[in-house]
Order: sequence, then structure tokens, then C-alpha cells
Amino acid sequence: MSRQQSINSSQTAASATAQSPLSRSFKATGEDVWKRTEKINAELFTLTYGAIVSQLCTDYGRDFTKINEQLFQMGYSIGVRLIEDFLARTALPRCQDMQETSEALSKCAFKVFLNITPRVTNWSSTKDTFSLIIDENPLSDFVELPMDAMEQLWYSNVLCGVLKGALEMVQLDCDVFFVSDILRGDQQTELRVKLNKVLKDEIPIGED
Amino acid sequence: MNGYTVGENGTNSGMTEQHQFQLFEESLRKVNKLVFQMLINEIIPLSMSVERKLEKSNDEEVSSNMSKLDVNEDSNTTNLLKDIVPSNQLIHDLLDTKDEDKYNKVIDRVRNIGFQVGNKLSELLIFTNNPNLQFKDMDILLIMKFVCRDVWKQLYGKQIDNLKTNHRGTFYLFDYDYPPIREFCIEENALKKELKLVEPFLEFPVGIIKGVLASLGYPPEQVICLATFVDRPNNDIPDTSFAKGISFHIQITTQNNQ
Repeated sequence: MSRQQSINSSQTAASATAQSPLSRSFKATGEDVWKRTEKINAELFTLTYGAIVSQLCTDYGRDFTKINEQLFQMGYSIGVRLIEDFLARTALPRCQDMQETSEALSKCAFKVFLNITPRVTNWSSTKDTFSLIIDENPLSDFVELPMDAMEQLWYSNVLCGVLKGALEMVQLDCDVFFVSDILRGDQQTELRVKLNKVLKDEIPIGED
Repeated sequence: MNGYTVGENGTNSGMTEQHQFQLFEESLRKVNKLVFQMLINEIIPLSMSVERKLEKSNDEEVSSNMSKLDVNEDSNTTNLLKDIVPSNQLIHDLLDTKDEDKYNKVIDRVRNIGFQVGNKLSELLIFTNNPNLQFKDMDILLIMKFVCRDVWKQLYGKQIDNLKTNHRGTFYLFDYDYPPIREFCIEENALKKELKLVEPFLEFPVGIIKGVLASLGYPPEQVICLATFVDRPNNDIPDTSFAKGISFHIQITTQNNQ
């Protein structure tokens, strides 16, 4: 790949080279920040999200396409703001490619915010698309969907929106979508991230 | 009106239980508090967004049938953002709404989500063997203390600062530093308008309170709960914090329950 992908515009330009030490440092950073984070009971988080989805089901009369879209948009609004906090807390250097981005997402972002570390897998041959396998999902713990919702609802779609919004803020135009979900009776919960293009590196707000 | 200190715990003999409970609490799975806070704050613009979309789809219904053709491209997620309105815009739109009916619908939606959370949250708290919990005869004062202490702690990491009651079904709960709005910047000169802007954010905890009460035998039609801004009694809270405290005025309207 010739073009550099930037996930972070911090001035500490990446001196990291080899993949494995960096990967280890993602893990260490994630765990370290998590330790110092103010936390709340995951079950409270689960039931709050559940209340939101259930309200949307009432409002949209179980039109799950609309619910998926609304959840995605909600996530996007959160993601574009959450990224600031993420960059401030982790002080991560720029990611050089999507492989680093995937590690930063899994080992840092998911760790710091949801205390989970999804597996990164299913790379495309072009190395611009990958999957995150979410084994424990704090959004959907103990959730069971009724039949009609099982076929159409992406219950945790807010996550896709969050990633979409956050990645966009670091100049990565990506598609983010679920391809399977345990709640739908699938084997695993798989979230796909596909890089469309690296946006032009604009001067980030607040930096001269 | 009698004032109550909310924070006091039971007797000394409860200490081991208390300690065990604390250990249990710490062993539970956790997520980042910030994410939770962003989620609950997003409920307000979300509720407005839903209202706008429902309105729009009502308008379109007459001349629809054509729009059903849109291809369902799962992988093109940019499509999902085509009609997105930024959250701060939605909050301003809500404030500027002239249509009272529309405003109320949005507020009801926020309250309703709070209600559901409160309802399930008290279940969650009661089934954890918390030694602080003892509802003798479903005494309303004990329930209020439960709200002030346990419910608030779980949701916001702090307790209600002050509880007052006349012992005839009227309660005032004061939170002088309500965490979800703590970081909202309010300019002193635009205070009135900006406070209006923040008002919808008080409806989520209103829903919570009504939800908790409903789960403990006080159905929503017997409970009035209103939130208003109040001045803080003292100024020991940093300037960077939101300028006002909140008062939750709760009125139990049934005669039979004390």
C-alpha cells in the first residue's frame, strides 16, 4: 500500500515499525486506560440500551429497517464525539494501515469503552476490510429477540454507527455493518469494517 | 418539612454484610461510565429525531408507493446517514418547537425510556441482596431513600444531596451536581435560554423516579414528578460545573398509602 492512512493526528509521529510490539502496546495502552477509567455496572448499560431499542420498536411500529437506521445514526452522533475522548486518553500515534487500525479498535477502543476485546479476522486480500468478532456484547447480554425482529433487526447497530463516526473523524471513510449476530441465531456476532477511502488530511480542529 | 441525611448507613452489625456487598458489586462486569453517560444524553436528540421522522413519513404517506423501491444495500452504510441531523441541532430544534403537542411527544418519549430503565433498575438492585434495602410495608420514605441512595448511586455514581418531605406524600429530592449535565457550558448572560435547552435532559431522571416507584407499588397515575432548576445552597462546586442544581418535586396522590 502506498498511501498512508492516518487514524490520529497527534504530533507524536509514529516511531513504531514492527507489528508485534505495536500490537502489544495497543493491548497495554487499552488495559492501562481501562484501569484508570470511571466505570458503571454493565447490566445497567445493557438495560438502558434495551429500553431505547424497545422505545424505537414502539415508535416505528416494528419497522426494523427504520430502527436499524435510527440506531446507526444515534451511534454516529456518539462516535464523532467519543473519538476525542479516545484520542485524549490513549494518546495513540497515527495508524499506518488498516491492520493497525483494527488492532487499535479491538485492543484499545473496545477495551477502554466496553471492556471487551473483539477478535480481528476475515481480512480481505487487499487488506482494507476486516471483521470484528464480538463474543461478549455488553449491549445485548441476556437479550432475546422475538421472531420478527430476529429476521430484520440489527440490535447492536449503534456500534456500527459509533465506529463509522469515530473513523470518519480520523479521516477514514469506512462502511461499518453487521454480517451476523448471535441474537439472530447466527453462530457468532460479526461486525465488518470496510475502508472506502482515506479522506484528505485536513487540519484538525483546535490544532494550529 | 423535615430534612434527611441520605448517606447514613445502618448499624455496626451490618458492616460485614456491607463489605461483602461491596465486593460483590466490584466483581460485576463494568463498562466505561462516559459511554453510558453519552448514551443517556443521546436519548434527547434521538427522541426528537424520531419525532421528525414520524412526522415526515406521515406527510409522505399520501404520495408514497414510489419510495418503496429503494434498494436495500446493506453494505453501503453512508446511505444510512443521508438524512442525519446533528444532535445539537436537534436539541435546538426541540427548544424552538412552537408545536406544544410535538414537544410533549418528544418529552414523553424521553420519560418513557427513563421509566423503563427505572423499572428494571429497581429489580436489578433488589435482587442483589443489598443489605441497605429493607422496605418495611413498602414505606414510601424508605423507597425514597432507596431512590436517593441506591438508584442514584448506580446511575450517576453519587447520591441525591438532600431529601425533604412533609410526611404527607410530598418529597423534594435535590441534586446540586447532576452528573449528566455537569459539563454543559452555560454562559451567564444567556442563562435563561440555555436552561430551557437543558430542561429536556431532566426528563430522563423524572422517568427513572416514576419507573422505580411503579415497580414498588406506586403506579404512574398516582405519582406526579416535576424537575426544576434550583440554586445551590453553597458554592463549593467548581465554576466549570453546570450553574444550577435540580429539584425533583414528587407528589404521591393516593390517599391510602402514607
